[in-house]
Amino acid sequence: MTNALIEANDQLLALYALTEVTSDSLDGTSSVQEILSRAQTLLDADALVFETDTGETIATVGRPTGINPPAPTGAVLTNSAGARASTTADITVSNASGLAARLLAYRRHRPFGTPDQKLATAVANLALGAWHTSQMHRDALSQAIMARDHDTASELAVRALPQWQPQINGAELYARSDPARAAGGDLFTYSVVDDVLHFVVGDVSGKGLPAAMMMTNVISASLAAFQSDGHRGPAAVLSRIDAWMYDYLSQAGLFVTLVVGSYDPQEKTVLLSNAGHSPVLWIDGAKAAVVEAATPPVGVLPLTDATAPTEVVLSGGPGNRLVVSSDGFTEQLDRRGNMFGEERLVNEIINSSDPGSTLGPQLYTALVTHADGAEQSDDRTLVILDIHGPDSHSPDIHGPDGRREGRTGND
Amino acid sequence: MDINTIHPTDTEVELVLHGRFDAHETEAFRAEVDTEMASGHHHLRVNLAAVEFVDSSALAELVRGMKRCRELGGDLILVQPSDPVRVILELTKLMSAFEIV
Repeated sequence: MTNALIEANDQLLALYALTEVTSDSLDGTSSVQEILSRAQTLLDADALVFETDTGETIATVGRPTGINPPAPTGAVLTNSAGARASTTADITVSNASGLAARLLAYRRHRPFGTPDQKLATAVANLALGAWHTSQMHRDALSQAIMARDHDTASELAVRALPQWQPQINGAELYARSDPARAAGGDLFTYSVVDDVLHFVVGDVSGKGLPAAMMMTNVISASLAAFQSDGHRGPAAVLSRIDAWMYDYLSQAGLFVTLVVGSYDPQEKTVLLSNAGHSPVLWIDGAKAAVVEAATPPVGVLPLTDATAPTEVVLSGGPGNRLVVSSDGFTEQLDRRGNMFGEERLVNEIINSSDPGSTLGPQLYTALVTHADGAEQSDDRTLVILDIHGPDSHSPDIHGPDGRREGRTGND
Repeated sequence: MDINTIHPTDTEVELVLHGRFDAHETEAFRAEVDTEMASGHHHLRVNLAAVEFVDSSALAELVRGMKRCRELGGDLILVQPSDPVRVILELTKLMSAFEIV
């Protein structure tokens, strides 16, 4: 009885000593190594091995030589020469997260008794806890790095959208894009070439960063095409973008709806070439006309003579307004599953006499009100080109050299 | 969205879709198309009669499937697209890209 009490008391002291084992390191191997080092003394073991349930050794102390393979708990093992080698405690533990590990304890001079088994189990659980903590830390660190990289990439993608606003004599451009996630596939960009405003509005299929990566490429291609082919009109620009982007889009399994346009303040004409984009609206006072797509989105089919882009010519004057949005605008659902819809968009536009710089934010507010807390399911882009007559004292058009803060972010 | 795959004959495959076909459903659709194509079926029919809505991600999956089938000498044919789907196909001019029956 006395011996049993002494042994039980020793085990309690040993367990207390184990709880004192701490590590400043979040490296799982060194933490487990430290636990095993303390446990070796407490268990009076020749060697300890801690391994994953798949057999990967995490840490060892001592030298379990001549013992192969590990044997069932308490078994007497023999070495290759048949001589008595050791006894083994073989403890398998698991936690609530499903992580499992195994502790093998070896001792030559006497077998492991029941108290030893309990102590070994406590050691195994402690080591498993340390290992699990280090794994969770490693996973959290990895996710944090990935999230940071994702955020950086998204920020870079969003910055591909123009951060300036052109100043056009007799016209005003409002443009804004709100991605559903940190970045998205909706795009707009513009450039001034030879006193003509060239612009493009589009929507890369798909969501999130993959679509955003493609979006930045389309913007780059568009800006280059404005320079190389802008003088030939939007259809030529669209053909050039298609020539540069088709293979890339096709290989990625994506496409992009694009409406390419130009506005010449001298001629007061808007030229448009629409590849699968909707809605595109031409507002004339209280009337709204839909500018339909002439060709499928870029990336769907190779261009042929039959599918070559065509142009629409719109003669502008005071009261005319071009409105291009993305489907994420019209397809926004409310909490009952009802879409905002193109009809409501048109009504909001034709019933407003406000300039685009005022109407645009009002439409975004109406969209948020309609959603009533429902998730933003897609990117929302809105571009408005108001034509309201020339100001004779102003130069016709200013590009980024005369830049001022653009209305391209959240108003 | 539910996807029911039927094989009217040994060489014919029809994927019958029900519900809303959007970005949340593209993975399941792609897996179904890839499974059929891996089985040697390059002539796929996608029945859209009971599809209430398609977004651009879903359209991209249909286009992807169509291109893969055509590369292998087959095709992906759209069957009886519902009115909402037909409207989207018309607005995007994708009617001209697909064979529709």
